[in-house]
Amino acid sequence: MHADQTTARPDAPNVTDDALYLDGIPHDRFAEMRAAPGLLWHPYRDGGFWAVARHAEVRQVSRSPEVFSSAIGHTNLWDLEADALEARRGLIDTDAPDHTRIRRLVASGFTPKNIKTWGTTVRELTAELLDEAVAVGTSDWVDSLAAPLPIRVILALLGVPVDDADHLVALSNHLVEGTSEQQTLAPDAFGNTTELRLLPFNSPASHALFEYGEALAARKRLEPADDIVTTLVQAEADGERLSGAEFRNLFHLLVFAGNETTRTALTHGAMALADHPEQWQRVLDGEVSVEQATEEILRWATPVLHMRRTTAVDTELAGTRIGAGEKVVVWYASANRDETVFEDPYRFDVGRDDNPHFAFGGGGPHFCLGAFLARLEIQVVLEEMRARGLRLRRVGDPVRVPSNFVHGVLSLDLEVVS
Amino acid sequence: MSADDVAVRVDTEVCIAGGQCELLAPDIFEIDDDEVVAVVRGDGRLPRNVALEVIDRCPSGAISIVGGSDHIPASGP
Repeated sequence: MHADQTTARPDAPNVTDDALYLDGIPHDRFAEMRAAPGLLWHPYRDGGFWAVARHAEVRQVSRSPEVFSSAIGHTNLWDLEADALEARRGLIDTDAPDHTRIRRLVASGFTPKNIKTWGTTVRELTAELLDEAVAVGTSDWVDSLAAPLPIRVILALLGVPVDDADHLVALSNHLVEGTSEQQTLAPDAFGNTTELRLLPFNSPASHALFEYGEALAARKRLEPADDIVTTLVQAEADGERLSGAEFRNLFHLLVFAGNETTRTALTHGAMALADHPEQWQRVLDGEVSVEQATEEILRWATPVLHMRRTTAVDTELAGTRIGAGEKVVVWYASANRDETVFEDPYRFDVGRDDNPHFAFGGGGPHFCLGAFLARLEIQVVLEEMRARGLRLRRVGDPVRVPSNFVHGVLSLDLEVVS
Repeated sequence: MSADDVAVRVDTEVCIAGGQCELLAPDIFEIDDDEVVAVVRGDGRLPRNVALEVIDRCPSGAISIVGGSDHIPASGP
């Protein structure tokens, strides 16, 4: 072997080119990263990051927030100027103690017990959407179920009137575009006058969501109700625990995350059930519970592909020295196919017994706030499909979002057969 | 109750109410809706293997075995 080949560490295969994701997650490249000893350096724009691909190290990074910070730098791949970082700072981009304060405030709405109280609402909505899809026969699953269900549920939790749902769905869809190079909105869309670099996802749709959230908060101060926005504004009044910017960013996050992520899980889940009818049969037959199948759908879908952390101190990971201030990116998309954790990881198997997937992140304080809500929605969809004896059939190929950050699907034509 | 049962505790300063404990061992753990942290029901005793599973899955590393060697690190190997 050539001398400089033994000393130079090879770069990671490129997994950040958005166009790659038009054909799905580049699993072969992640497998290559997992097989490499230590960590691989991934060049990105003017710099790069340490790519964390194995389950064990995604877990370690996620659970060591004092070393791998969410507040230093940004949690997306690119860097932000200091003022932009401050303007955007929310639940995702904070460390303790700020994170703990905001998280506790909003978490009360998402506890297992609280989420259970939404079961009837979720079931009624699901039944309505499924019956419509059956009547139509063949439709775009994203439009007919995967998009409307989660957004209507999260908006109900937040206390947003039903009539505003379509507007907020449109705004949330624009945000996803902001994570790729394909902005279609003009910078001054929705009356935006803020520099895009100061807005989440660099999107003028963020401005519109902020404005909507603030107007809603003002209304809830006058007419409190049993919803999350009321909880947030009342806490704000009680002890000034949430700043105006924190509220705006939190509202924005809840709309986006509640809309986009569960939609992705429901779409990939439906696609997998259509492609693997024998797996759905196991659920229909009662051999596998909907709870168990839901966990496999979550692993399979991995709605959020990665998060970035930045080292607060010099450290070592997988035998690789990392200096303070370096970028470390944890790839949930890769951890969820780690062959040392999941037997036959590329097989969709609804009956997996042990399924420690990272669809909700790798653990640690930033563990998905909406995990129980997402689970409830997927479980209810499966239950209602099972109760009707429905089967799904693929009609066309999915149109995917070209993004290295979300595993989004724009459309997926399916036939719903009763 | 068996000899292999252990008692667990929750560090409420660390807990983020992720709710994984309630999902895995609903008889022992509950997310308190007022304090928004996990609380242990009764004497908090459960089989060691269940306790280890809950400790492993707890996202924040807030759960430990009472009288265990200080506390069991949740971040694994």
